[in-house]
Amino acid sequence: MGLGATVGADLLAVPFPKMVLSLAQAIAKGQTALDTASLNTLKVLSSTTFDYIPDITEVIEPGPTTSAGGVTVTGVDVSLVKPIRSIPMTLLQAGITPTFYQFTESIIEVKMSISSKVESQSEFEFGFEVSASADFFFASGSMSSHVNFKTSNTFSYSAEGSSLLRTTLKPTPPPQRIMPRFITVNTLNTPPTVTFSA
Amino acid sequence: MQMYLISTCGELTQEVSRDLQRHVRKFGGFILMVTRTGPIVALDDAVAPIVEQHPLIGFMGAVTLNPRGAAADRLQRIFAENLSQQLIIAPADTAD
Repeated sequence: MGLGATVGADLLAVPFPKMVLSLAQAIAKGQTALDTASLNTLKVLSSTTFDYIPDITEVIEPGPTTSAGGVTVTGVDVSLVKPIRSIPMTLLQAGITPTFYQFTESIIEVKMSISSKVESQSEFEFGFEVSASADFFFASGSMSSHVNFKTSNTFSYSAEGSSLLRTTLKPTPPPQRIMPRFITVNTLNTPPTVTFSA
Repeated sequence: MQMYLISTCGELTQEVSRDLQRHVRKFGGFILMVTRTGPIVALDDAVAPIVEQHPLIGFMGAVTLNPRGAAADRLQRIFAENLSQQLIIAPADTAD
């Protein structure tokens, strides 16, 4: 198998579909958990009541006059108009709503670093030696030769990978079907008017 | 910062309420209002999961102020008043 094919096989081995599926499943689970938490908040808000006092009316009236050093000083009486009207109201009615979140963007980033190295080295050596000697009675000669051949191949291959999953979570307006609709009937008008919250 | 509604595990007594408020302040949060269920606080998103671990906290959920609410303007004023009492503003000459 060629080197290119090995790199290609390694790139194909990245479990990308599995990663996308895992991320999608994690987002779906996270979204469900977030929506459940928001719905629980909605329940708490709609069951927590307080006494809302819209107005407190004070009446300032002239009080008994007094004189100090011959100067007449007008006194003042401040009286409270009773009964003070309190309206039982839930926190939801008052204006506190649960925050809903939504995953707006998800990114999967896969980084791969593949390096391969092939080294081939050959060494060839040839030697030839001739020696001759001659004496009074005889002569001699020798011949030698050698051949050395050395070859070496080194092959190195490394593949490194890293992945990054990033999601963005943003607050979103509450779904209309989840949030209760406020219907206000105003009987001060003739005929009474009915308004619906958006 | 995000607004959170905290409800306690059991009954909300003065002592429990104070305990929770101290706990929130310890993590740099602010108390915006105290309701019958528990306090409404402003917290950094990063510390919210840690604050939620307090044994007295039964439930903690993120909330938003709806400006169309019947008492939204009053709530906003209450929040602002309570917040102003907790903010420490450094004198101009000591500021960096």
